[in-house]
Amino acid sequence: MLAQVLFSGLALGSIYGLVALGFAVVFKATDVFNFAQGMFVVCGAFFAVTAINLLDLPFPIAILFIILAAATLGVVIHILLIQPLAGRPMLSVIMLTIALSIALRAIVEILFGSQGRNLTTPLPTGIFLVGDVRISQLHLTAALVSWACMAAFGAFFRYTSIGLLMRATADGHEAAVVSGVNVNVMNRLAWAIGSTLAAVGGVFLGQLQLASTDIESIGLLALPAVVIGGMQSIPGAIIGGLLVGLIEQLSATYISPKSSDIMIYGLLLVILMVRPWGLFGQRELGRV
Amino acid sequence: MTDPSHTATTYRAARALRWIWVIVAVALLCYLPVLLTERSILGVRLSNMQLLNLGLSQINLMLIAMLGALSLNYLTGCAGLISIGHAGFYAVGAMTAAMTGSQLGWPFPLVLVSAGAAGAIAGLLAGLPSLRVRGLYFVLSTFAMHYIVAFAFLEYQFKAFDVVGVPYKTAAFGTLELNSPMRWYFFLLPVVALVYWGLRNSLRTREGRVMMAMRDHELATTSVGVDVRILRLKAFVLSSAIAGVAGALYAYYLTNLNSEAFNINFAIQFIAMIIIGGMGSLPGSLVGAAVWLLLPSIITGFASQASDSTGFVRLVLVEHKAQLVQLIFGALVILLLIFAPGGVAGMGRQLRNRLATWRGRR
Repeated sequence: MLAQVLFSGLALGSIYGLVALGFAVVFKATDVFNFAQGMFVVCGAFFAVTAINLLDLPFPIAILFIILAAATLGVVIHILLIQPLAGRPMLSVIMLTIALSIALRAIVEILFGSQGRNLTTPLPTGIFLVGDVRISQLHLTAALVSWACMAAFGAFFRYTSIGLLMRATADGHEAAVVSGVNVNVMNRLAWAIGSTLAAVGGVFLGQLQLASTDIESIGLLALPAVVIGGMQSIPGAIIGGLLVGLIEQLSATYISPKSSDIMIYGLLLVILMVRPWGLFGQRELGRV
Repeated sequence: MTDPSHTATTYRAARALRWIWVIVAVALLCYLPVLLTERSILGVRLSNMQLLNLGLSQINLMLIAMLGALSLNYLTGCAGLISIGHAGFYAVGAMTAAMTGSQLGWPFPLVLVSAGAAGAIAGLLAGLPSLRVRGLYFVLSTFAMHYIVAFAFLEYQFKAFDVVGVPYKTAAFGTLELNSPMRWYFFLLPVVALVYWGLRNSLRTREGRVMMAMRDHELATTSVGVDVRILRLKAFVLSSAIAGVAGALYAYYLTNLNSEAFNINFAIQFIAMIIIGGMGSLPGSLVGAAVWLLLPSIITGFASQASDSTGFVRLVLVEHKAQLVQLIFGALVILLLIFAPGGVAGMGRQLRNRLATWRGRR
């Protein structure tokens, strides 16, 4: 029983980690606390519905379509909405992302109807047994793909020159501008990465459940994940995601199905009181 | 202009003019419910669309929302503390009303007092993180608090009542029952006016001014010897007490309430109201609440006119009215944030400045 719960917790946690990673990339680059990340997850699921169920594209091309569409969405949002608000107070930017998620939800529901849709991809869906733990292949695939994406982006930020430029931009906009980095392009790239990672998470969540606007709330679990892990830390986001997935599954099984929210947000509150910079973040020092 | 008697005359004239405006406004506000119930002006019947598809109960809900918007704007716009958990205080008020009103059977005025007190205590607790964290972290702590309160309300509702919702009694003062929208209107209108007047005056006291200084520059305020921590808690307590009362009113007005009504979207609508109305402007919060509560029924009214259209227009206007409203709201907030960050109040100020320059040039 425990092993079963741990498995599904880790598998879901990997998806949350992936979404949270996208969130952290955007936050690190542009300082935007993106409440629309949950809606990006929904958009990813519906890009998949469009590509696979409606357009009947072959699976590899469908994947390409989803990634391109999600990246375009991120870039367009950055150009149209985020750039004009540079230098505005925090609440304006937060509210902008909230309003954006309201508008996106309305658009998705107008285009696809408010009922959920079944999303079927050629990914393996069977179940096999390891000992007495039922391993769902879809969960396993989701976890593996999430880990592959996280590893790929980890390597990208660490070893490629663009990744280096992005890190430099996140560390100091002005220094990057002085060194001749096109900061806007870097930020757009960050938004593209953020929305793409969310969309990949959305494809899996949409298939594990129904593809509907309700998975927004699941995507929003990336927020506590990021804060628990530490907002400035990329590995922190991933570990935060895993933690949130584990807590969700454990409390839903052993306490009550409704208690998972309060356990996650309770932990968030405790972390905020004790270590506001998160488990892996760096302590921010106030300067006068 | 230097002649003192002349100045006094203009002053007196301006004051008289202001009183005339106040009287006209009060008269209009008193006539409004009559108009919306009779649905005719001086015997001339008006069609539904001429009344913008509005009814008195929307006006009443708007008045209750105005309390929420006022208190949030006091907290966020004037004290500079951003809260995404404002629905939580509504929920605390409604929960207290369920305990004292529905379970213990206290009279309505006492229920309101208890809801306000519970809201104040909840605000004190929710404000405690502000002693330690600020900025984004504080926003997140209110976000977390919202989920905790929502969970508590849900558990309480399931334990003490049932899945359908919490039933509330008819609100009554002694033998006078608030059993019609008209009576509610004449009860809510003075309440809103009182809260507005109270908050406006409190902003003009020493503490109110210090609070706005704290919003603008916390460090400078601290360095002139103000304990900003206490001030923050005070602002939080006052604002959440008002929200608690508003929550109880909301619950009594609806007479049956499910705890799920206080979800995160309920909290977001208040932020949207103060963005639309203008951050830090109390009259703006009234406008924002009016826009947020009245626009949906106006939009659905107009959309219903297009019921014979076909194709995509029909899909949007007829089958997805709720989504259309959401889309328009989302777009409205985004456009305001980009092009008019001061909201309606900011636009009004700009217009007045422009008018003044134009007059000066003439």
